[in-house]
Amino acid sequence: MSDPGPYDDRVGREFPGGSYTLEPWRAWLVADTLLDDPTDDTPHPVLAWMGGVAGMGMTWDDLFAWFDASADDGPMFGEHSTTLHQPLEAGATYVVSGRIVSVQRKVGKRAGAFDIVGYELDLHHGGDLVARCYNSLVFPRRDAA
Amino acid sequence: MSGTRVEVGTEIPPLELDVDPEKMKVMAALLADPNPIHFDTRALAALGMDQRPVNQGPLNMGYLQTMLARWAGGRDRLLTFRVRFQGNVLAGDRVRASGTVTGVAQTDRGRVATCDISLEVLGGSTALTGTAEVLIDEETS
Repeated sequence: MSDPGPYDDRVGREFPGGSYTLEPWRAWLVADTLLDDPTDDTPHPVLAWMGGVAGMGMTWDDLFAWFDASADDGPMFGEHSTTLHQPLEAGATYVVSGRIVSVQRKVGKRAGAFDIVGYELDLHHGGDLVARCYNSLVFPRRDAA
Repeated sequence: MSGTRVEVGTEIPPLELDVDPEKMKVMAALLADPNPIHFDTRALAALGMDQRPVNQGPLNMGYLQTMLARWAGGRDRLLTFRVRFQGNVLAGDRVRASGTVTGVAQTDRGRVATCDISLEVLGGSTALTGTAEVLIDEETS
């Protein structure tokens, strides 16, 4: 069961954006937290999403507030996708842009009402699109009918 | 990825590891993620949750990406990666990343394997499921 969401006007809203430098030390630490090889010259692919978030130009609280929500509401990750058009490079500075791409209100028998918000983050380098990440956030709407 | 030809049904060598709460603390700092469920056991208790910290989503995703990269021959071989978050992974859990090839095609970027992937907590439930595309060799040696 699904209905049009009350936040449809947010679709297309652009994030402030910014830049993200993939510092080698950061690539080392990320690989280490994953129990992967920190000396690999190619940064771990998960840094595409991490770089996008770090460079999107706003905080999670800012993003939640666009949907009249906060961390206290218990937002959750729903889905994620990463498309890598080129491998990431240690030391490269990426231009980051992003936008809201979808909002959907759903009502589940057990979960009640919730909104699923989809957003994209792009990493560009030298004018080329290097990576695009999509993520969906699930906002519980306990007070919604 | 050696010794066998990649085809539909080929199983990717699984990756198993123990989830270390100390790594979560480092990842919380790298993500600038203030959510205490990733590092503060007292906060978890106050929330009425299991007192084992909850692993970050990027770490769970990363385990699968590591498995794919090792199998395909490098991190530069991952093309697409899509997952759905289905459950939590907690500190001290042992997880198993696994995958199976569901398709092989020649593309303008080379030979690409499409794979079903999942991350499971051993003795527990599935945390992530999804699909990925990776570049593979024409014929493995």
